[in-house]
Amino acid sequence: MIRVEGLTRNFNGRTAVDDITFEVDEGKIFGLLGPNGAGKTTTVRMLCCLIKPTSGKAMIGGYEIDKDPIKIREIAGFLPESPGLYGELSARRNLEFYAKLYGMPRQKREENIERFLKMLDLWERRDDPVGTFSKGMQQKIAIARSMIHEPKILFLDEPTAALSPDSAKVVRDFIVELKHEKRTIFLCTHNLYEVERVCDQIAVLNTKLVAFGSPRDLEKKFGSTKTEVQLKKIDKRMTDAVKRLKHVKNVKILGNKLIVDTEDPETANPAIVDAIVKHGGKILYVTRTAHGLEDAYLKLVKKDEV
Amino acid sequence: MRFDRVWEIAKKDMASVRKYKYVLYGVIAMPLIFAIVIPFATIYPMLTADISSNGNMPVVVPPGMDVRQTMVIWMSNMAVIMFMILPAFVPSVIASYTFVGEKINKQLEPLLATPTTDMELLIGKALGAFVPAMAVTFASFVGMMTVVDIMTFQLFGYLLLPNLLSLAVLLVYSPLVALLSTSWCVFVSSKVSDMRAAMQLGPVAIIPILGFYFLFLSGLLVLDWLVLLIYALVLALASLGVFVLSKATFRREEILTKWK
Repeated sequence: MIRVEGLTRNFNGRTAVDDITFEVDEGKIFGLLGPNGAGKTTTVRMLCCLIKPTSGKAMIGGYEIDKDPIKIREIAGFLPESPGLYGELSARRNLEFYAKLYGMPRQKREENIERFLKMLDLWERRDDPVGTFSKGMQQKIAIARSMIHEPKILFLDEPTAALSPDSAKVVRDFIVELKHEKRTIFLCTHNLYEVERVCDQIAVLNTKLVAFGSPRDLEKKFGSTKTEVQLKKIDKRMTDAVKRLKHVKNVKILGNKLIVDTEDPETANPAIVDAIVKHGGKILYVTRTAHGLEDAYLKLVKKDEV
Repeated sequence: MRFDRVWEIAKKDMASVRKYKYVLYGVIAMPLIFAIVIPFATIYPMLTADISSNGNMPVVVPPGMDVRQTMVIWMSNMAVIMFMILPAFVPSVIASYTFVGEKINKQLEPLLATPTTDMELLIGKALGAFVPAMAVTFASFVGMMTVVDIMTFQLFGYLLLPNLLSLAVLLVYSPLVALLSTSWCVFVSSKVSDMRAAMQLGPVAIIPILGFYFLFLSGLLVLDWLVLLIYALVLALASLGVFVLSKATFRREEILTKWK
């Protein structure tokens, strides 16, 4: 659905995006991760035909970005970093305006406006000026706007940035629901938790593409996989026993919690549990740390900067 | 070109303008001046002045008319000619908001991501300023015509306006002036990156129109049909030229990447 080959963009001698190549399959949620200034927004703008690449090619839904910009804009939806709504107009009028620019027939337009506003819990406020809405509500309207013409591909630039946790959850759930409708989602984000939750494929961008794969692949390949064992009470014999195990690389103690860095958690974890129980430990929880992808990301970005 | 989309852009801009009070007041203030203040200030003194005592007044009086009637007709024609200027003011207020305002409010990026062409965007934006300009001009003209006819009916015994000149001004020159001003303001708005610059550069389109008005007022230019025809052609060509320039220099990319 999205094929990018050697895409490069320079601004006055500075390279913002450097020779990136990747592919995103139809119906997948793809996350583009990267620090500030890594070129994420520039990449999305090139793929949405808003700016031209200096070199390289990209195909969106079978159309080339430099040859068929209008066709691409017809099949793609775009949510920029700022909602950019017309604050003086109502929610319904904002959506109607865009639906008309996408050439939607009246009945379908009305149906979609109602459907998306209801889906995002904003139907009751449909006639209120969006300038009176909260940030979260405005972001929801902006998402509905990007979806109003039912695009095959949706580009979302930081869709949950600056949203409260409950609003961010509504947006995330909505993104997952779109995946079930077989839409391809291209998500630019800093939010690793979001990526882990919703993305099938991710790429880490730091001007160049430094990694590509599933979140699990990247976590395995570049992250350190840690296991947290919450004990009722901890003592030195248990820690020593765990440290002696074959696949254990490092053990940290945090209160009554052991944080164990392993090479292969699926092999090491049963042995860790056995060793603790054998030495009289009472285990309350065993969990995988939520920092695997974060470690991988930080390692990748740092490695690339060196 | 898809006119439904062009009209939608224009309609949205007109709706937005109605909500901005400072723009709305600017649009309303001008017609009040043109419809009421100018005819009163120019024609009323002619109706009340003691013209017979001013024997040195160099007025060529057409047969069948007296000096007062001649002066009143001249003044009402002056007021009519002012309607060549009015349509130039309104777009400068509205179109300054067009691209610059949308960029400042970050509304331009999603708009540029829609499948509208550059031509559709530019014409839509121009139409969004042109239609209110013409509406205001027509409304003001009706107001001015009413004021002038009420003031002068007793003197002439017939309605002075509309006359041939006023119809030509209203139906030919006002639209052309509005077109020139709109094209210029959309061009300026797509080039500068802050609202104040757009508002300051917008009225530049009025300068050549004012120049024509003062040439006529000073007597350097005689108001005859050949002059008016040439003027209409100049306006039409200038409007077209500015619009072609807007289209040729419109860069979505620059608007997104160079404006901060």
